[in-house]
Amino acid sequence: MNDLNPTGPIPPQLPTPTYPIRAPLGESPEEREPIPNLFAATEAVLRQPRRVMYHLRQPGSGRIVIAMLFVAMLCAAGYGVVVGTFSSGAQLWIAPVKIVGGLLLATLICLPSLYIFACLSGSQARLMEIVGLVTGLLLLTTLLLIGFAPVAWLFSQSTDSLAWMGTLHLVFWGIATVFGLRFLENGFAHTKARSNAGLMTWVVIFVLVVLQMTTALRPIVGTAETFLPQEKKFFLSHWGDSLKSSLD
Amino acid sequence: MSASAFNPNTPTAFLRAEPTRLRQWVTQRPANLVGCCLAAVVLGAGTYGAVMGCWRDPWQALYTGIKLPLVILLTTLGNGLLNGMLAPLLGFNATFRQSLTIVLLTFATASIILGALSPVALFVVWNTPSLSGATQLSSPEYGFMQLTLAGLIASAGVAGNVHVLPLLTQWTRSVGVARKVLLAWLAGNLFLGSQICWILRPFIWDPAGPTRFIGREYFRGSFYETVFEAVRRLFFAWG
Repeated sequence: MNDLNPTGPIPPQLPTPTYPIRAPLGESPEEREPIPNLFAATEAVLRQPRRVMYHLRQPGSGRIVIAMLFVAMLCAAGYGVVVGTFSSGAQLWIAPVKIVGGLLLATLICLPSLYIFACLSGSQARLMEIVGLVTGLLLLTTLLLIGFAPVAWLFSQSTDSLAWMGTLHLVFWGIATVFGLRFLENGFAHTKARSNAGLMTWVVIFVLVVLQMTTALRPIVGTAETFLPQEKKFFLSHWGDSLKSSLD
Repeated sequence: MSASAFNPNTPTAFLRAEPTRLRQWVTQRPANLVGCCLAAVVLGAGTYGAVMGCWRDPWQALYTGIKLPLVILLTTLGNGLLNGMLAPLLGFNATFRQSLTIVLLTFATASIILGALSPVALFVVWNTPSLSGATQLSSPEYGFMQLTLAGLIASAGVAGNVHVLPLLTQWTRSVGVARKVLLAWLAGNLFLGSQICWILRPFIWDPAGPTRFIGREYFRGSFYETVFEAVRRLFFAWG
């Protein structure tokens, strides 16, 4: 270790993602580098989001979208298994199925409104670009959930409190979604939209739909005799009931 | 000090190194640096842990001497993936390995400080009467010792993080980004570390049983539930 060369050159600064948001996509050669596979797509979404945004605007972007969606669902399933470890048994497959299905369903439900809001805002984005941006949102969110997975697993094994675990998963999902939505917002900024109001409205709708989906597909963390609930409930009412029964 | 005198094998190198030097170590010699960090954690935190545990008996000293470094290493590994993802998302485009190394460097610095504070902690522990004597769990002496030991750990942790801030600032070329990254890492590590400590307790003394590596409460309940429950009881009592 003594042979460290103190006068040696300092490694070059890695490219940072703090580009001016409004700079045209593809301006830097790095952004134009192709995204050949799943791993490149995953890494690009984390480190070079503008590279992903650039390629989503190019012809044949469907391949990248499919790759990103595949990884996102894989990550969602992985996190689902961790969620299922709280109750174990059948929840080990039920939780991933419900999380993957719920995320896909919520996205499909919300996608048309995002496209319409985008058009109303004057955005020039094609449908595939919007689909790609939403897929990027899903990928980033689920990747971060995988990052949270070891922490979630530890708490799953430590506590018996359903309300606590539910809250923890919601907090993790919330943090991950903030980063995912930031990707979407940055991508949306390049679609020449006149205002962000439509996007912000959609964000509220999307979050509400996902939250309601957790109640519509309950139980995800705990167990039940039936795969799906027999009673319809609003998510706030469900949370209130869960907290009350946990505190009693 | 001449530049060639810098050597990550010596504990002071961690503390004296300039951001440029640290960055060189992180990028060019990560394996060596990780080895040094691990040694610093095991020795520094291990010594401090042994001092904490020796208040009860030599076995507790041994157990806590193992458990304290274990908490640090498990926290680093448990949050490694998350910290590596958060860094580029917050504007610090480091690789996973580099993020992991920097977090470990933070803990290593804190561990060296803890090791250096061990004599102070030993003095406090030595001066606190044992529980078999006049001291009870509710005694001010016991409370003082607990607070001092925890306070020293907190101070070392803060110093470790502050020490890495210039490295992150130089690397990211932005104080704001460096602070955001450090704060995110700190929050995550504090959250997970608290629960790992909870699982690996007792560190000083378990009033309910003999000396054991991990108490009967192992994997039962969480730190945050207990805090929440205590706050709830407090407010309920006030109501």
